[in-house]
Amino acid sequence: MAVKQFLHSKDLKALALSLPGALFIIFFLFLPLATIVIYSFWRTESYTMIADWNLNNYLTILTTKTYLTFLFRSLAMSLAVSFISLVYSWPVAYYIAKYGGRYRLILTMLTAAPFFTGILLRVTAMQQILGPIGVVNMFLSNIGLKPLHLLMYSHYATALGLIYLWIPFMVLAIYLSLLTFDFKLLDAAMINGASPLRAFWEVTLPLNWIGTCIGLALVFIPTFAATITPKFLGGVNGALYGNILAHQFGSTGTWALGSAMGVLMFTISSLFVFIVFKTVNLNRSGYTGQIAGE
Amino acid sequence: MASINHQASALKTGQVVLLVLLYIFLYFPLLFITYDSFVHNIIWPFPPEWTLEWYQKLLGMSDFHAGLKNSFYIGLFTAIPATLFSTAAVIGLLKYRTRWRGGMILLYISPLFVPGLLIGISTLMFNANVMGMSGKLISAIIANTTEDIAFSFLVILAQLVRYDWRMDEAAMVFGATPAQVFWEVTLPTIWPAILGSFLVSFILAFNNLEISYYNLGAIPTLPTIAWGSLRHGIKPELFALATVINMLVFTAIAGLFFLIQTGMVRFGYRGE
Amino acid sequence: MDTNKFLYFFKDMQTSSYALQLVEVEKQFGDVRAVDNVSLEVKKGEFFALLGPSGSGKTTLLRIIAGLESAGKGSVFIGGKNVTQNPPYARGIGMVFQDFLLFPHKTVGENIAFPLKMKKMSPTHQQEQLNWVLDLVRMKGYEDRFPNQLSGGQKQRVALARGLVARPDILLLDEPLANLDRELRKEMEVEMRRFQAEIDIPFVYVTHNQEEALTLSNRIAVMKDGHFEQVGDKLELYDEPKTAFVASFLGLNNTISGEVLRQENDFSFIDWKGIELKIPTPNGIKPGDRIAYYLRSEKMHINPLGKNTPVDGSIVLAARLRDIIFKGQYSDYFVILDNDEEMVISDVPDIESLKIGGKVDVSWLPSSGFSFAADGEE
Repeated sequence: MAVKQFLHSKDLKALALSLPGALFIIFFLFLPLATIVIYSFWRTESYTMIADWNLNNYLTILTTKTYLTFLFRSLAMSLAVSFISLVYSWPVAYYIAKYGGRYRLILTMLTAAPFFTGILLRVTAMQQILGPIGVVNMFLSNIGLKPLHLLMYSHYATALGLIYLWIPFMVLAIYLSLLTFDFKLLDAAMINGASPLRAFWEVTLPLNWIGTCIGLALVFIPTFAATITPKFLGGVNGALYGNILAHQFGSTGTWALGSAMGVLMFTISSLFVFIVFKTVNLNRSGYTGQIAGE
Repeated sequence: MASINHQASALKTGQVVLLVLLYIFLYFPLLFITYDSFVHNIIWPFPPEWTLEWYQKLLGMSDFHAGLKNSFYIGLFTAIPATLFSTAAVIGLLKYRTRWRGGMILLYISPLFVPGLLIGISTLMFNANVMGMSGKLISAIIANTTEDIAFSFLVILAQLVRYDWRMDEAAMVFGATPAQVFWEVTLPTIWPAILGSFLVSFILAFNNLEISYYNLGAIPTLPTIAWGSLRHGIKPELFALATVINMLVFTAIAGLFFLIQTGMVRFGYRGE
Repeated sequence: MDTNKFLYFFKDMQTSSYALQLVEVEKQFGDVRAVDNVSLEVKKGEFFALLGPSGSGKTTLLRIIAGLESAGKGSVFIGGKNVTQNPPYARGIGMVFQDFLLFPHKTVGENIAFPLKMKKMSPTHQQEQLNWVLDLVRMKGYEDRFPNQLSGGQKQRVALARGLVARPDILLLDEPLANLDRELRKEMEVEMRRFQAEIDIPFVYVTHNQEEALTLSNRIAVMKDGHFEQVGDKLELYDEPKTAFVASFLGLNNTISGEVLRQENDFSFIDWKGIELKIPTPNGIKPGDRIAYYLRSEKMHINPLGKNTPVDGSIVLAARLRDIIFKGQYSDYFVILDNDEEMVISDVPDIESLKIGGKVDVSWLPSSGFSFAADGEE
């Protein structure tokens, strides 16, 4: 009886439709991730993995000064890029959501469109702008000024490049959240004595905090793993953690160490996301869990 | 009159300025590259010396045609399963209320939280050591699919949250079988979303570097070719390549947008 | 204009007796004049209703008072101070909205205490005020709940509490009961009068529901196309409407119109689709003009045919009873007269002798209704 009930139940139908993709993700994403966790405890010798369980890889990373430097460098870079993106994206997303009217869709798509050109070509384009013989510096020298050293092959260039790459995600996340925000609540806030800034802090930001957190996560994670951007914009000393990681899978073939670095990267990113989402209190987010037609 | 208005419009103007600056920031590099791809004096192209030499060089690049073909295959064969999986999942999860819903949605979105680099190296090792198939197109396709399922899922989800499933129930009351319901009622309403997610997956996989790179070995794709030549300094052929790809992407998005305008779909756009 | 400005400035110093004062306020949206030269004074302790159909400008006017819209022309004084240039958070007002607009991410207590928090009141003082107002709206004990856990009526009380807690100079209400179901609305109407009487803060209440306006307020302004048709005590408006619009809006549910045939003393005889009727003459009406006459159903009587004992001077007409709607203490009788026109009579229920389809007499005194020049304006 119970089985028959289940067979016709909503649970089964939902599962039937969503299980294939879920299994795909589990098998082809989670499983590989699990394997690098395993490999991180192994050893590489002459390009083969040897199941010699040890913590050496982690110890190496966490005690060698070079590795730690890169780690902290990436961390600092990611935090800075995330924060700057956050501050810049809010007014932009707010404007599109509140004042965009029927142009909202175009405006949002325009922010998202560059994303599809692919990392490499966007970074190339950036390089052409910022590099020592890039447009900016050529422009400056044409009007008699000295080229901006700050902009070429530096961490600032990398940061700018990373913001360039990932800010559309933040804008989109906040924008989508604002779509379900009742702007009339701000009328109520203002009547009750809140100045525009106060109203933003007391009403707008809390009710869109989840969207903001999602945006932060979507920017932090790829930024922390960046390889191409620092390689092409960062110059000789511009390498970040991601580059060192990628290096392990190049000619040295030190896959075990690379795995450990990967696990560490994933852990730190997850920690960041965890901390950020810890600040979310569902009661205080305006979340009702309702979907149309229920 | 009133300072009420002054304050409000000052804030508004500020926001517009920031928005415009953002667009300039996002598009200037791409537009400049497009411009640059047609001139000989790429470093300071004013006044421009028009030429098509870079496009000729691009076509002449060894591996170009192979790379184009492979990128296309990766794009196509990633988009198909990604779209299929995610469409089925979104319909299943939204139509039928189940306690697995929250967990499933999280599962489908989880690839977004794994950076491309990690997906690349983990699938590389998994395929090489466990599955025994490295350096094949299929491994790149699979790896891209895992990431693109998530994007696909979100695109379709954004549209379908607005779909009223009671329409389907009504159709069934009037005698339609589940298959008929899907074909006659659901699909006609949501097909632009499906198309949109297909395009998104295709473009992402087509242009992908980090995931594909680790899984392809020596197999060329457009991004890996670009990567290869970039390591030897800027090659203007890449500007031509970028322009071509931009044109394709732009056309695809414009086409989709046009469909949306004339069709019934609004991606997260709520008419007020 | 200058002399006026001076006078109003002078008056400014003396207007502390008025809680709200509007002086020649105007607001234009493109081609439409939403608010057309409106002046108004509301005293402390008044319950003032802005009554009008949608599009009459009443909500715009309220938003101008609140500072959510800026007045194109004119001035707004609240508590004696000129606040025309002030943003909404610097006007010392409270407001209750139609969709409540409670902050979903704050508890009931935090919602209500919000205006106090904006004023930077000390927590102890806040708590005092909070307790007082929770008592007033009878929501004690709900401080820690969230708005999505409340029913519609409870949300309305919380919204009211939030509006009153800071003891503003005036409380603005924008159709607050429109989203409640009928039973709840009746209940809240009674409650609102009680609140207002207890705290002596003037209420400015916008509604399109004449019954609400009549139940709740002391004074009413009937608004049409951005201007006031009539302002006065509610009984005054009810018993002496000055224009056809006010008459029809305040529930006079029988309309008779016709051309004047002849006049005698203060009365005109009009041709109502074949029936000749005696009607009080409005100002400046001559034979040949059209008159519209509004009559309340409660002022009419209905009896079975021939059983009428009319008061001297009544008009008596024969009719057929089409429908009866029982309303408890009275019934609405729908009749069709010999000229095919329909009328409604509200009279004591009489199941025995009045049956649908039967023939009846309807009667009323000519002076019971109000007549206005028809002007082709209907």
